[in-house]
Amino acid sequence: MTDVQPELLRGLAKEDAAGVETLASRVHLKSGAVLFQLGAEADTVYLVQRGRIALTLPVQVAGREEDVLVEERQAGQTVGWSALIPPHRFTLKATALVDTEVIGLARSALLDYFAANPAAGLAVIRNLAAVIGQRLQVFQAMWLREMQRVIDRRTA
Amino acid sequence: MEMFLMALCLSLFGVAASALAFGAATRGEPAPREREAGLKTAPALKAALSTPRFFGEDLAPVDMERRVPLEVLLLQIERHIRLEQAAAESFLHDPSPESLHSRTMSPLVH
Repeated sequence: MTDVQPELLRGLAKEDAAGVETLASRVHLKSGAVLFQLGAEADTVYLVQRGRIALTLPVQVAGREEDVLVEERQAGQTVGWSALIPPHRFTLKATALVDTEVIGLARSALLDYFAANPAAGLAVIRNLAAVIGQRLQVFQAMWLREMQRVIDRRTA
Repeated sequence: MEMFLMALCLSLFGVAASALAFGAATRGEPAPREREAGLKTAPALKAALSTPRFFGEDLAPVDMERRVPLEVLLLQIERHIRLEQAAAESFLHDPSPESLHSRTMSPLVH
């Protein structure tokens, strides 16, 4: 499916990987193109095949709303896992930083496939848990570092 | 009569000279209303004038922040987030209090 094995499909049997491939739709994004907007309905999860995607959040800077980079995703990584997690709304904005190719997997098609192939479903959900867990741990550490600075300023 | 007219002329000349001198001396100053309007359009200046200053220490950082162009500030924020993410990932790789609170080079912190 891709040169780099997608993190979401690690550990899948060959036939399951091929089965998931039949569900995929390829999306080509020019540099600066928006893949999805913050708050939009999330019904497709994306695997970056080539290029880079910036995940941003709006921040007020000098009285203006600016998209500030939160994370960057590259080949093999997953974007838009909100499609598989209720309430199925994107919590970030995704924009291509360079010419980028992603593979879209529609939630409904994936869930149907998992219902028929539970082993594939288990493998993908375990991979998804790893992706979400890593995000949580990174942001928890970032938050703690910021808290420490607030405490240091207060007690200085 | 002649003496009276001469004294009157000299008095008028004196008043005119005084009026010219006063006008020249006050030409550069705006009227109180104009001064007030000027302060309204420059809140930073008003704040600076109304805030007690001791060697200007408190004002220096504010001025520095205002001088940073938006694009530069956005780049600093992006760099800060990248550095913080790298530090957080480094902590996850080797969790310890030291790696959690490792020092950052981010200009937003220093």
